[in-house]
Amino acid sequence: MLKGIITLLIFQFLGECIAKLFELLVPGPVIGMVLMLFFLILRKGSFPSLDSAVFIHLRYLPLLFIPAAMGIITQADIISKEFWAIFISLLFGTIIALAFSAKLMDYLTIKQENKK
Amino acid sequence: MNFEALVNYIQSTPLVWLILTLGSFKLGIIIYEKFNKHTLLQPIIIAYTIIMSALFITGVSYEQYFKGVEIIHFFLGPATVALALPLYNNLKYIKSLFIPILLTLVVAGVFSILIAVVFLWALDAQLPTILSMTTKSITAPIAIITSEQIGAIPSLAVGFVIITGIIGALLGTSIFKFMKIKHDTSKGFALGLISHGIGTARAIEISEKAAAFSALAMGLSGIFTAVFLPLIIQFLKGL
Repeated sequence: MLKGIITLLIFQFLGECIAKLFELLVPGPVIGMVLMLFFLILRKGSFPSLDSAVFIHLRYLPLLFIPAAMGIITQADIISKEFWAIFISLLFGTIIALAFSAKLMDYLTIKQENKK
Repeated sequence: MNFEALVNYIQSTPLVWLILTLGSFKLGIIIYEKFNKHTLLQPIIIAYTIIMSALFITGVSYEQYFKGVEIIHFFLGPATVALALPLYNNLKYIKSLFIPILLTLVVAGVFSILIAVVFLWALDAQLPTILSMTTKSITAPIAIITSEQIGAIPSLAVGFVIITGIIGALLGTSIFKFMKIKHDTSKGFALGLISHGIGTARAIEISEKAAAFSALAMGLSGIFTAVFLPLIIQFLKGL
């Protein structure tokens, strides 16, 4: 698995370096993700050590954002002041967006099928 | 026996917070699985509650806590890179529905951000809240690093991400029924696009095809948002 972990770290490092060098606004790890995607496409697949390194990272993914997420305790002020705006935006925003995305995708899929 | 030395050690070692964080997350997983993976009992919500209570009781500040568990935070970077593999594994589905996927990704992706921002703006929310809402539909690791980039509040952004995921997973099936959605691929894609990982976990229950399209949408929208959102916000701030 070590080879897989090294691979992930190298791609993250390359991504961060590219972001710094070209003063890009895209976060470095996302550039690393795109680089690894190209690497996998060129290689036409993964290797077992990378598979296990990826598995261990993604299996406990929610654990990794607990440190950042706990910062919410410092935001009690905003949340209590803007509770209803946030609540309405999250609830109705998500319902409308979900309905719209599924309908649009369905419409475009049916249109493509009819063409054939 | 030196009790003072013991108390000093306990107060200063990061081990206490590491054990509490890992332990409460593990407990979260156990409870989540006991209740047949009910969407509302996300392991992170359970971990959240436990850690928050511990911080309240001990009076430890967030900064102190974060220092203790910074090593966990570090792994967000490699985990983001790791997201390339599930995306690669589902990339083969792009070809079959290339135009629908591309159009839905861009149009619905932008629409979902706009609608949430408009609601907040109409209800007089402040700029930091609005900025933190823009990353609500992408997977949390990318949302955290992108929200840092655009000057939003990462912790608020993660909170919005998790709640958006839960709402989508809870109401998705009913919404699809109401909207008379025909294809599983459309259901999966919408779930991944709007409700990221939590939506994808839900899509697995619809069908294998839905799960694949959900994972595909989640990966693509993560990259799409991380690339264009900072550019658009920088442009808007410059106006």
